[in-house]
Amino acid sequence: MRIALAGNPNSGKTTLYNAITGKNEKVGNWAGVTVDKKESPIKKSLYDGREELIAVDLPGAYSMSPFTTEESVTRDYIKNDNPDAIINIVDGTNLSRSLFFTTQLLELGIPMVVALNKSDINEAKDTKIDINKLSEKLGCPVVETVSIEGEGLEEVIAKAVSLKGTSQKAVYLQGDIDLTDKSVVEEADRKRFDFVNKIVKEVETRKVLTKDKNFGDKIDAVLTNKWLGIPIFAGVMFLVFQISQAWLGPLVADALVAGLESFQEWVGTQFSDASPLLYALLVDGVMGGVIAVIGFLPLVMVMYFLIALLEDCGYMSRVAVVLDPIFKKVGLSGKSVIPFVITIGCAVPGIMASRTIRNERERRATAMIAPFMPCGAKVPVIALFAGAFFGGAGWVSAVAYFTGIILIFLSAVLVNKITGNKSKKSYFIIELPDYKVPSFWGAFKSMCSRGWAYIVKAATIILLCNTVVQIMQTFTWSFKETTSADESILASIAGPFAYILVPFVGVLSWQLAAATITGLIAKENVVGTLAVCFVGLENFIDTEELAMMDGAGTDVAGVIAITKAAALAYMMFNLYTPPCFAAIGAMNAEMKSAKWMCGGIGLQLGIGFTVSYLVYTIGTLITDAGSLAIVPAIIGLVAIVIMVAIVAALINNTNKKLKEECALSK
Amino acid sequence: MSLADAVEGKEYIIKDILTDDEELDAFLFSLGCYSGESITVVTKKKKNMTVSIKDARYSIDIQLASAIMI
Repeated sequence: MRIALAGNPNSGKTTLYNAITGKNEKVGNWAGVTVDKKESPIKKSLYDGREELIAVDLPGAYSMSPFTTEESVTRDYIKNDNPDAIINIVDGTNLSRSLFFTTQLLELGIPMVVALNKSDINEAKDTKIDINKLSEKLGCPVVETVSIEGEGLEEVIAKAVSLKGTSQKAVYLQGDIDLTDKSVVEEADRKRFDFVNKIVKEVETRKVLTKDKNFGDKIDAVLTNKWLGIPIFAGVMFLVFQISQAWLGPLVADALVAGLESFQEWVGTQFSDASPLLYALLVDGVMGGVIAVIGFLPLVMVMYFLIALLEDCGYMSRVAVVLDPIFKKVGLSGKSVIPFVITIGCAVPGIMASRTIRNERERRATAMIAPFMPCGAKVPVIALFAGAFFGGAGWVSAVAYFTGIILIFLSAVLVNKITGNKSKKSYFIIELPDYKVPSFWGAFKSMCSRGWAYIVKAATIILLCNTVVQIMQTFTWSFKETTSADESILASIAGPFAYILVPFVGVLSWQLAAATITGLIAKENVVGTLAVCFVGLENFIDTEELAMMDGAGTDVAGVIAITKAAALAYMMFNLYTPPCFAAIGAMNAEMKSAKWMCGGIGLQLGIGFTVSYLVYTIGTLITDAGSLAIVPAIIGLVAIVIMVAIVAALINNTNKKLKEECALSK
Repeated sequence: MSLADAVEGKEYIIKDILTDDEELDAFLFSLGCYSGESITVVTKKKKNMTVSIKDARYSIDIQLASAIMI
């Protein structure tokens, strides 16, 4: 039996879904967290367990007529996939709006139960809802629930199961109307709202009126203040990075790394009799690479925890409001901010979050430029280079994120100019949910599930990549063990790509090229592959050493023979070039256009190259001008000039077209 | 007059929504923002304002506020 969960955005559908299925899907206190449907069996402990029950979580919708693409997922599923029952989650604090959708769902004939959620908030505000009367008026069972506490779940499920095979009777029938005639539809909808208003009047008694100023408005006055709003947001984000990557993260990492190292030593002794080849493959190569990646796990996990807290308290919508005026200037809106912030954790859900943006151009542009924000998988890359070349300096991480933000604005302007912003007025409206104290337990669970996913990734994809890299750099094409890694399979494959890197690393290094290529599979691979290619590196890049960097730092810098300016440039190239394949796939899914996709990848490559070139060339000119190789510098410059010329031509072309259109319309 | 000229804290009745964007119109409708319904400006700023429609709060920009006639 399939049970669909439907209701208004931010009514608590996914929280309820997680509670009844034991899943750990993303939740947050803003409208539009869930953008795709998800399904999973319901825990048998919540019902008699005789029949398998599947819960289907759907994106929130205000009505059956979709406004944004994720809302159409909901409408299509309910209308076409015939679920056996619907649990309509109704935000009890906002009955007057929610029941509009409820009455539409009741018309479908599918058996339905109303879960009157957030009953605890109503209790606190002394709002009373007569559920018996409401049930009678709606003609379906109504159960009070508090999904974050897990209250009322068994009853809701039991009611839904008991209705199996029945048919829901509609209490309000729209009747046969001409759906193509706008005024007729509106007239019918008005009647529906009148019907809803009448019910609400009869069942609800309120002491606190929503239109009156409340405590949340006072918080809003500070957080969205004209002068304070942006500094507060910057401060909050700075704290997130500082706590996770400088204060708490490395502290936890120390303990972890000690354990991992002794494990590696133990494995080493187990293989002490094995052939040197196998030893090098397993202990130095494969394990070293994985340990290098897992060593950074605490930094990422602390960051996940803090971001989960941010998402849960209701601040995200306010950030969108604060940044809306700035983003409007570059052709986006405040709605783009949420995808950018989520990308700090992982670009895949970040890009998917752009689905809530209604304007197609804005949505595509957001999906295209979100990956400039360094994601969790890039944290190890940043930490490695900060530790190895800059004594673990905190400014490297700050520069990485700050540059990402600047690139987002810059490329938004570029995209705007190239595509020609001819869209009609873009209106901005966002629901401001009530603030709530974020759930530490929820954030902890979110952190653990994402941390676990990171470990699984390290033990599968990254382990596999490391093994392949290790084998490829050990053998020649004739499958003989090489005496010099420069003759290996890996060197011959990655070699040609190494030329691209020369203008901004100053040397021809197939190892660096190989790391960048494997980084496309997963960005952690940059660290893993470097650890495999430069044997012994993993002993320097664990976070324990990050704290006492001085000695070890110069060692790593010695192993990877590039200058500081080159290291920073190479790091930035890996941060701002196209993201991993998973994120590229997500970009493709949201853009739904080959033209935009090619443009996006081209933009990311071009920007990544340009930024790295500028950092290296200017950095070298400042620190040691004599060491700058002239030929690669000129080739790099020519490449950039060509790219700028192409962009200029595209912009020029668009302007011409816009002018022609203007002339025609006059 | 439009909502952009409204006074903070006062409840108004919406007279009309002036937009040729039908989807937006329908969306606002589903939130309960349509002619005949009440709307309250909770806080007003230069570029945006917080409004209360039915039992929810929304932040809208000044362009949208100017399209809501009261």
